[in-house]
Amino acid sequence: MRHSLTATWTPFLCAAIVFALTASASARIKLTTLPVRERVEIQLDNPSATLVEEERIVTLLAGSNQVDFSWANAAIDKATIQFRVVNMPLRPKTPEDAASILRPDGTVEMIQVISVAYPPNENSLVWEVFSEKPFAARVRISYVISNITRSFDYRAVADHDETALTLSNYIRLANVSSEDFGPSAVWAGFGDVFQREIGANEAKQMLAWKFPAVPIRKTYTFDWYRGQVVPSEPDQRYVAMRYVLVNDKARGMGLFPLQGGKVRIFQNDGRGGEAFTGEDWAKLTPIDDEMKLYLGLARDVVVRRKIARNDRHVIAGNLFDQDVVLEYRIENYKDSPAVLDLLEDMNRLRDDLCGAKDHDAQWQIVPEGTTVQADRIERKDSRTFEAHLPLDAAPKGETKVAPVIVAIHLQLKNEW
Amino acid sequence: MNARSYLCAAIVALAALAPGSFAGNLDLSTVPPREGVQLTIYNSEDITLVREVRSLSLKKGANHIQYSWANTLIDPSSVEIRPLEHADEIEVLDATFPGDRPQQLVWNIDSKTEGQVKFQVTYFTSGLSWAADYVLIANKDETELSLDGFVQITNNSGEDYGNAQVRLVVGVINLVEKIQDLARRGLITEQAAADALERRKSEEGLTALGYVAGFAVKDAEAANKPAEIIKEGLSEYFIYTIDGYQSIPNGWSKRLASFHARQVSFDVLYRLRPEQYGARPARFFMLKNDEEHKLGTTPLPDGVMQVFRDNGRDGLSFLGRQSVKYVPVKSDIELNVGADDEVVEELKQMSVERSSFSFDRHQLVDGWDETRLLRYEIRNYKGKPVRMEIRKIIPGDIELSAEDARLFDYQTVEFAREVKPHDKLAWEFKYTQHLGKNARQNTIRVR
Repeated sequence: MRHSLTATWTPFLCAAIVFALTASASARIKLTTLPVRERVEIQLDNPSATLVEEERIVTLLAGSNQVDFSWANAAIDKATIQFRVVNMPLRPKTPEDAASILRPDGTVEMIQVISVAYPPNENSLVWEVFSEKPFAARVRISYVISNITRSFDYRAVADHDETALTLSNYIRLANVSSEDFGPSAVWAGFGDVFQREIGANEAKQMLAWKFPAVPIRKTYTFDWYRGQVVPSEPDQRYVAMRYVLVNDKARGMGLFPLQGGKVRIFQNDGRGGEAFTGEDWAKLTPIDDEMKLYLGLARDVVVRRKIARNDRHVIAGNLFDQDVVLEYRIENYKDSPAVLDLLEDMNRLRDDLCGAKDHDAQWQIVPEGTTVQADRIERKDSRTFEAHLPLDAAPKGETKVAPVIVAIHLQLKNEW
Repeated sequence: MNARSYLCAAIVALAALAPGSFAGNLDLSTVPPREGVQLTIYNSEDITLVREVRSLSLKKGANHIQYSWANTLIDPSSVEIRPLEHADEIEVLDATFPGDRPQQLVWNIDSKTEGQVKFQVTYFTSGLSWAADYVLIANKDETELSLDGFVQITNNSGEDYGNAQVRLVVGVINLVEKIQDLARRGLITEQAAADALERRKSEEGLTALGYVAGFAVKDAEAANKPAEIIKEGLSEYFIYTIDGYQSIPNGWSKRLASFHARQVSFDVLYRLRPEQYGARPARFFMLKNDEEHKLGTTPLPDGVMQVFRDNGRDGLSFLGRQSVKYVPVKSDIELNVGADDEVVEELKQMSVERSSFSFDRHQLVDGWDETRLLRYEIRNYKGKPVRMEIRKIIPGDIELSAEDARLFDYQTVEFAREVKPHDKLAWEFKYTQHLGKNARQNTIRVR
């Protein structure tokens, strides 16, 4: 029966060296002196698997050594455990070295793992390590461990005029592995390596990167099909507000893809303080992509939409084209100008007007009857267009806000 | 021997007993220990051929040898004994399986010689298994890697095997019955099934695999050197013989190095196959099991590969793990290491146009063509070029025009593109789908 140290060291990861040149695997005696961890690094670059690398000084005798590694209450993936000697002693190759690891430079490693034995029903293993000479080996033990997770949070502080913001990217490490790692280096896969004390069952939040003064656009989007319905106003949809920043170098970012996470958004209130203006989930944002942060609903930009024209023109048989004019009535009650984005989903518009179909809409914008400049209408893909309309600030004083009315003439083609 | 189980051979002192009268009358005179044991473990089935050597003291005339295997998973129909010495003077007359004593048999041996004789006992057992596994560590630049192969032997047979010579068989064999079932069921009730297994083994040469050569009797401790694994081909099989002797107690596993390959060159390839690998491009490490890539000495058995990369900061990054199917010599090894945030792909359908309408007798549209314009964009934020292979399934009657497009199958078109470091590449292609009555077939034609 093997001795167990788990009662003394719970929770624990321990490596014990056993000088058991003749001991059989089933009757092992553990040395009570445990080499302490010299260094720990926690690699969080893989979102689905956390790799821990720890280094211990293991004093090896010449010949065969048994090194125990056992753990309690920690979900270590046994298959991933690696044993590597960092300060490997080397010597020139000899003709007897057939089974040895020959390094690219022609030298031979003087320490080799002969075998790994896994005892039944235990979270432990025994490395049988052969050393050609007595040696204090700095051993790096690497393993994938569950229950250490990473997540990302952001704090975005917009300037008072909402033209730029400071984005702070935090990494949060949650260690519920029951293992106390002590002083550890933590790496998120980008940015700096952090030196922190990582205790058992604690979370640690660290500032991974800070992007100051990132230029942003504040967008106002009217999307008839995805926008929030305004109660009792069938021709209205609320206008959604977003900050849009681009993860590129031109804007002082673009260093690495921004991982998804919660963004808490603040705005400089102009009096030295910050006002919390909402939060949103940011998606994974590759370099050069836009990060869109939803801010809520704009109550001072009101848009109504109606279908001013809906004429069908038979081509042959049941085949027809359909002329549609969308008319938007826009009022900006803000005291600052804005750009309104009008979004339309042409498949859903077609389904509304022609009945549901199982084919994509074929459509075009007809200049005649369209009051928006052609270069302000962007065809995003085969079913979406977006018109960008500059809005003036509301007039000062008691002058009423004059609504802006725009029309877009569309032709739905080849429907039946 | 441990307390849970035992295999023992006992010489029965009462030589005059008739075979049918053993039960309840036997006394053990000696329990000769194993002097050597060889395990031939298969990975495709739960079967291990065990050959053990024991010395028995015989007297002239009839000898009754009792052999029992309580709490183990031995197939009783497979237990055989044969003398390794004085073969022409010793005859194994029969084996009796007492009905009231499961997991036991008695051999009736007629001997013309007297004294200690070495015998070989062979049998099949279940519960011993082996599996290959691999550790791959790519360098920081992902141009070369080290690949270490291991074999892990697990003993859940109920029996301790000490100082055993171990042979591992790579290859698929056929069994008509599971050894575990045979071990549980015993011999008496399923004699016919066991006979069938014996016949099958004979037909398939299974037994012959285990009897390739004799083996040395081991009486020393395991050598303090890494065990070399000698790989030999045999017919459709590959046998790994582990140099030296291994002790594997019941319940334990033991992992040994099989090979070490260093400076193995490999390529990185990205594949976009949404139906196979998901919506994002999957990154692959592509290597070959051949001499040019410093591998290729043997096939690589099925196993799990743990994939790491030097993270450039004196440590490792864990990229993932993948089950690798049997890799013949000269065959490719493809490792999917997952999506890469630094390589971005986007596909957009930019337009749809319909044409070539036909009408039925009621003047209803019953045939038409749809022409779609698709746009791919790949962005590469890595410091080296990336090669991307894209497969797109387009079912139906399709006419497609695209530069460098080629057909993978009747409904799948393939593109291969290389994107320079820190660059982006976009291209468009059109295809026309014939629908309704216009559809004549279900295939893609590339124009």
